Amino acid sequence: MSWSDDNKTTYNFFIEKHKNILIFFIFMFAVLSLNLFYLQIINGSYYKEIAERQRLNTSKERAPRGLIYDAKGNILVGNEFGYVALFYPFEQHELPSQDTIEQLSAILKRDINPEIEAGLKYKRVIQIADNLSLDEVFQIQEKKLFMPGIAVTKIPKRKYFNAVENCHVTGYVGEVTQDEIENMQEDNYRPGDFIGRGGIEQAYDKYIRGIDGGLQLEVNAKGQPKKAFKYYSPETGNSVFLTIDADLQKVAYEALEKSTTGRGSAVVIDVKTGAVKVLVSCPGYDTNDVFTKKYANYLRDRNLPLFNRAIQALYPPGSIFKVITFIAAMDNLDFDPSHTEYCTGSFELGDRHYACWFKEGHKTVNLITATAKSCNIYFYKLGLKLGVRVLEKYAKMFHLGQQTGIDIPYEKKGFVPTPEWKKLKMKMTWLQGDTVILAIGQGALWVTPLQMASMISAVANDGIFYTPYLVENIKDPKTNEVLYQHEQEIADKLEIDMRIWKTLNKALTEAVQNGTARRTYFKDLTVAAKTGTAENPQGVDHAWMIAYAPAENPELAVAVIVENGGGGGTNSVPIAREIFKKHFNIYDETDKIENKDVKKQNLKQKPIKENL
Amino acid sequence: MIKNKTIFARILDNTDWLFFISLLFIIAVGFISIYSASINYMNPFKFITTQFIAICVGLFFVLVFSSFNYQYYKHFSGYIYIISCLLLIAVLIFGATVKGTKGWFNFGFFSLQPVEFAKIMFILVLSAFLDKYWREIRKFTTFCKALLILGGHIFLIMLQPDFSSTLPYYPITLILLYAAGVKIRYLLSIILYGGLAMGIPLFITFINLQPEVLQSSQILSFMLKAYTDLPTALIVLLSISVLVFLIKWFMYKLRIQMPVIYPVIFLLLVFAGSFSSIVVEKSLKEYQRKRLIVFLDPSLDARGAGYNVIQSKITIGSGQIIGKGFFKGTQTQLGFLPEQRTDFIFAVIGEEGGYLISQLTILFYLFFIWRAMIIARNSRDRYGSYVATGIATMFSFNAVINIGMVTGLMPATGLPLLLVSYGGSSMTSSMVAIGILLSIHIRRFIRD
Repeated sequence: MSWSDDNKTTYNFFIEKHKNILIFFIFMFAVLSLNLFYLQIINGSYYKEIAERQRLNTSKERAPRGLIYDAKGNILVGNEFGYVALFYPFEQHELPSQDTIEQLSAILKRDINPEIEAGLKYKRVIQIADNLSLDEVFQIQEKKLFMPGIAVTKIPKRKYFNAVENCHVTGYVGEVTQDEIENMQEDNYRPGDFIGRGGIEQAYDKYIRGIDGGLQLEVNAKGQPKKAFKYYSPETGNSVFLTIDADLQKVAYEALEKSTTGRGSAVVIDVKTGAVKVLVSCPGYDTNDVFTKKYANYLRDRNLPLFNRAIQALYPPGSIFKVITFIAAMDNLDFDPSHTEYCTGSFELGDRHYACWFKEGHKTVNLITATAKSCNIYFYKLGLKLGVRVLEKYAKMFHLGQQTGIDIPYEKKGFVPTPEWKKLKMKMTWLQGDTVILAIGQGALWVTPLQMASMISAVANDGIFYTPYLVENIKDPKTNEVLYQHEQEIADKLEIDMRIWKTLNKALTEAVQNGTARRTYFKDLTVAAKTGTAENPQGVDHAWMIAYAPAENPELAVAVIVENGGGGGTNSVPIAREIFKKHFNIYDETDKIENKDVKKQNLKQKPIKENL
Repeated sequence: MIKNKTIFARILDNTDWLFFISLLFIIAVGFISIYSASINYMNPFKFITTQFIAICVGLFFVLVFSSFNYQYYKHFSGYIYIISCLLLIAVLIFGATVKGTKGWFNFGFFSLQPVEFAKIMFILVLSAFLDKYWREIRKFTTFCKALLILGGHIFLIMLQPDFSSTLPYYPITLILLYAAGVKIRYLLSIILYGGLAMGIPLFITFINLQPEVLQSSQILSFMLKAYTDLPTALIVLLSISVLVFLIKWFMYKLRIQMPVIYPVIFLLLVFAGSFSSIVVEKSLKEYQRKRLIVFLDPSLDARGAGYNVIQSKITIGSGQIIGKGFFKGTQTQLGFLPEQRTDFIFAVIGEEGGYLISQLTILFYLFFIWRAMIIARNSRDRYGSYVATGIATMFSFNAVINIGMVTGLMPATGLPLLLVSYGGSSMTSSMVAIGILLSIHIRRFIRD
């Protein structure tokens, strides 16, 4: 049939080769088909997803975060709007072209290269400039066609009112970090998103955040929009209603600012609920400035404005701890409050002297007067009778050495020393001298101002502990639906006889009328208070003051500390006085007279160290 | 033969209709895809008009070349070779430069790529040569002469320079030599030589793209050093020589007889290949080497050399089983797919037609090639068989290289998918090849 001019063998020889060649061709096409099967059927949905992702570009519209209100409905944190220029990478361009950069620089009249370099780390959308003026916005929009990838969007910015005094309550917002994105994958944060840092902004971030909206566009390979699909309007975050009283907060902050060192903290708790009305740490910082150069100054400031003293600073309580010793003695020893001791101004234990703050001595004192005048000798002796175990038990009973459970992060829990701890850490046995100074709140006892406020609130409440809280409820801004409501819950109830509470109340009221806390004396308001001057190995004493009022039916519990402020009676009490004045609307005029009176009295009597 | 039938009726009778159906399917799919890839342009009909004209001209060529007796080519093969070389030289002098390659004649209203026609002429010439010297086919000199015929074309094409267009030449030559009965060891030698010359620079480029791999591997960094440093390279080659002779000695001990010339030739080839790789490295630009190797891992240069491959894979894969529908492929219509009408036309088919249509296209293509091979088997003389085999090889390797590139199996080279891609030269030259195939087919029963 073929190859007529040849013999059969050469043809057969060719046919054999021909067959191999054909098999080889079929093999190659089979490989192609298999690969096609793999690409389109096995991996088809994967590639489909990539194709969709690069086709659909959602121009994100950031949701404004929820508003934060105080207890009276004043806005503490709101939003304002600004325009930013963004660059969306397209096709083979990760960065805007040189031409685009030049045009943008000409419009904005500044160098934008640093922003581009800073934005590169996110590998996607780069924010080129923020705080654009309307004029700049229009100029960019006009030339948008010649600057591929550039877009202008409106973004909300957090605005803090009365920022300095409320900074530690509200916290601030910052850009989410790569680590946070990875750690909180279920929360779906993306680079460039904002997240709360500290305070309410952090603790209730998931309520406050809101849902970002945006326009879903179909873009071509050059990044030009072709078709709009859907518009999701951004949903503002939920409104948070705090228990904070902004006016009271302001009064407390200003009073602290005027104090001797200007460093300190004040906490006010509603006795009946545990609602925190004031939580101030002085000095504060302006949360609106967190992303400006001022932030570096805050970091460098020796007064540590970024440090939330109210929940993070640990101080020895000093004489305000006597309240706990008082209760321990009466509850544990069935102590007769009328039992008297004679204070000579000094006390000897072994070969050591322990002095009373009043060098002349308080002469004969009973439990009530000793508390009111803060006699150390009386409490030394009580401490010896009680022993360290009982003191430790009662300290822990009043929740010292543990977190109060307030709803903002980074609360410190403080410390109550024990003989075991001393043995373990300092390789020394617990001595009676340690017990003695523990009885007056010194030694390795560390408490936060919030813990003290919580403690005095429980005292005012006849032993009922409420967990202090800042957020009353959270509402949807549109529907007003309540998404979160704080529920009143008794955290702890101390089983202590009513008689003891009555006696303590009497002693603390006595401290205001005749004792160390005379400066909170009001004609129409009975205040119960205890002052403290905590010795502090690093420097000047801390001035403490805890109080509640009215004494008959307590409403407000206050704890104030002025760091290195000196005597509690002179330095902390006026701050508490301002708070009471504001809250109970006490007129100024009578005040001034009283103040003068008190001052005169004090000038006569006042020793250098008022009370220890 | 039935005398009273007209020539036209005889042609109809002897026509392989299945062959024509598969051909029509392939051309139709390509035509629709080209239209789909151009509907977003100012004038969507511009490209399909050109393509339509090319198809019509091509069909005319099919008629002309199928009625012309292919056996005459054999007698004029010397002239054909000279004409093909003149074409390639002319394009170097008069040609227009497109994308850095001087490979086009620009006639104003249309342009022509002579290399597409030179390729077919080459098949005719090489087949004629192998047919003429079939008695001395196992001689080394015949092999060398065949390589010289190849070398002439390769040299002229590389002057353009157009590396991609030379690619089909190698498989055509190898397969034709194999079919003609050249000794297998010659073919293996030339593959080893070419593999080393091409492979070493590409391999080095590939490791250079991954600095972290280079740091972790001692062997790889040593190899990189051997590539840049002559003494190290000589040490490597010397140790290979020692190793080869050790194996030879070991085999001698095992009483396996082997002439000593084999390892010597092997080593000579290794040396020659290694040194030729320097020439290849110099002649290819950095981006070309990257483009040739990056298909192994396109993400290494995702926005550069790997971009086309990545987008092409996304385009095909996202078509899934039934495709997105013609004119509805997002990758194609929004311009994510590069070179849509020419090199990457198969991705358009894959996206818009899905697995069904693209697999069908591959099957029809294979069927078409199978028919061509049947023509080779049934040819009435050796020359016809060789020509048909060469043409079948041309079509199948063009398809494999192109579809392989589009699906990420092979290097990114600028080779069109014959009969499908947009382009007048490739379409008309393919039709000429089909005309010659038909000429062989029609004359299969004729006796001299």
